Amino acid sequence: MRVFAQQLVRPAQYVALAGYILFLGFPLLWLVSASVKSSAELNSLVVNLLPQEWHWANYSEALARQGLVSSAGNSAMVALASTALVILIALPASYVLARLKGTIRVAGVGWILVSQVFPVILVILPLFLILRTIGLTDSLVGLTLVHTTYTMPFALWMLQGYVAAIPVDLEEAGAMDGGNRLVVLRRIVFPLLAPGVVATAMFSFVSSWNEFFFALVLLQSPENYTLPITLSTFIGGEGKVALGPLAAGSVLAAIPSIVFFSIMQKKLTGGLMAGAVKG
Amino acid sequence: MKTRGVSIAACLTITTALLASCGSGDAADDGPVTLKFQALSDQPAAIAETESIVADWNEENPDVQVEIVPAGWDGVYDKLITQFNGGAAPDIIHYEAASIVSFARDGYLADLTDLMSDERRADIPEGILDSVTVDEQLIAYPTELQSYMVFANRTLLEDAGVEIPTGDTMTWDELREIARATTDGDEVYGLGWGLSSPTAAFMSLAPGFGGTYFEGTGEDATLTVDDGEMALPELVHDMAYEDESILPVTMTQSGSEAIASFYAGQTAMTVQGSYQAANIAKDAPKDFDWVALPPLAGPEGPQQAANPQTLSVNIDSEHVEESAEFIEFFTQTEHLAALNEADALIPATTSAQEHLAEKLGDENGWDTILASGQNFVSAPYLFVDSYAQWKDTVATPAYQRYLAQETDETELADQLTNGWDEITQ
Repeated sequence: MRVFAQQLVRPAQYVALAGYILFLGFPLLWLVSASVKSSAELNSLVVNLLPQEWHWANYSEALARQGLVSSAGNSAMVALASTALVILIALPASYVLARLKGTIRVAGVGWILVSQVFPVILVILPLFLILRTIGLTDSLVGLTLVHTTYTMPFALWMLQGYVAAIPVDLEEAGAMDGGNRLVVLRRIVFPLLAPGVVATAMFSFVSSWNEFFFALVLLQSPENYTLPITLSTFIGGEGKVALGPLAAGSVLAAIPSIVFFSIMQKKLTGGLMAGAVKG
Repeated sequence: MKTRGVSIAACLTITTALLASCGSGDAADDGPVTLKFQALSDQPAAIAETESIVADWNEENPDVQVEIVPAGWDGVYDKLITQFNGGAAPDIIHYEAASIVSFARDGYLADLTDLMSDERRADIPEGILDSVTVDEQLIAYPTELQSYMVFANRTLLEDAGVEIPTGDTMTWDELREIARATTDGDEVYGLGWGLSSPTAAFMSLAPGFGGTYFEGTGEDATLTVDDGEMALPELVHDMAYEDESILPVTMTQSGSEAIASFYAGQTAMTVQGSYQAANIAKDAPKDFDWVALPPLAGPEGPQQAANPQTLSVNIDSEHVEESAEFIEFFTQTEHLAALNEADALIPATTSAQEHLAEKLGDENGWDTILASGQNFVSAPYLFVDSYAQWKDTVATPAYQRYLAQETDETELADQLTNGWDEITQ
């Protein structure tokens, strides 16, 4: 009886896992479904995952929308640039936060926490005025800097957690073997931090890729619009929404994120403490 | 080791290159005047029509070129308030009457009173013109409107032995009678009405019952909830719970969601924004026989509150006069008619309404919809400073509770007035 129960555990785990994946993936599945349904079907009481009639015109309509492709390019540039900046700055800063004791650490952690308190609507006007003074409104460089600043506190918080999890003993062992601080960082700490860096990069990329409000307010010229701004033009006044083309545009918009994730995911677990402790 | 060094260098180079390539250039030149026109058109046909009008203008006016800056409705208020405060607002601003009043009061919009031609002024019905007049200043040209209409399933009405109304107007009592007559147990309900956020509908339709809600303007406005204001919520409540002629689920849905049960034959009629006529023609099942019923009239008449889409001019624009000239061009009869046909909305000028009526006749209920265009009146709520806050935090939850039978008429009136007092005191 006990053996029988044990045999049931693994299939039950898989069923639970499949159910969980379905639960998580269903909104995306529904989005894909809506992207190939006609307006008539979307506005009917019929609820099907598979459309009654495949309506690919939503994709051509979405792609025909002015600037969808170029705004995807803008989003990619801003997201990649801000991700790179976040990692470059957060990597050494997080080490300082995690390892150093004293007022710098306290001030740093305090800044991170306080920065999460203010709603975006409060900072947008001063931010706009500052960026205008230095000529960076309506500029993807300005937006990149804003996204970097906006993402930085949480990225620091994430990374300093990863740094703190690396035993100090490893660094001390490296020092005992004759490595100076830079060598220890480069050859011991940073490789062990790789999964954390990847996770932080993924977070930064997606935050920037999806960010709407700063882009909405800061960007004025259509040629600078990012993808969320262009997608928002599918939502009209008087409650009108072009649901099919919006869903199609959203599916297209999700592809780069999915590709980025699938590439980075392999690296997420690959370097995890591999070979850290020799026997 | 070398590989890592190269990787870091490459990463830095890519970042720098990306940042460098991201820059947007603002080339200054001494050519023709360029006006920035922030347009919110969302329908592909309306976007094309806007581009066509602008192209015509640019061809006729080489010295004053207009550049369209497309934007979405989502978040546009926050965008504009930042643009105004930051001195970066476009010259010509597309928006709606209900939202630009506060901009006008804060001094961001140019007074167009002397810039609008007499011809245009005479062409705009008084109620619509009043909706864009703040402190005796004309703050915008109205362009497009929607009215609340009743669309009916002709087959279900005829099966129930109902004679389809054809007059200039239809009373609310007639609507109630037809809803009763077409209700058939749990199979068919007489009416479907998306009332998940009922305040806008109740405000817009209140003038027909003599309801004004507000007196005065700005910070001095006062709220009155009396018979005229309570008449429509009570009527809806009675239809839902005494007659049981409103499909209950639709009262928790948006207008667009409620239309699905109309297509499915679960409701014989539905109250919708007039623009839905175009969607019904496109999305309804092929054998679906539908009709737009005459405009609804209360005891005071068929009036509905006007909240037109608008074109305004930024007061800080260096080219206010040129901007107004462009708007004059944009609102010419043929242009407004074409734009409203593309958007399935009602033109704000009488001549454009007539032009469209002549062109489209009774196709897809256009004759009835356009007839409702003469019934718009200015609504006091447009000019009340705390209206948006009251609507979102007090009125909508209070109406929802009332329509869900959690409160009665007296409690509803108390909640509306007490909530207003709390906000304004």
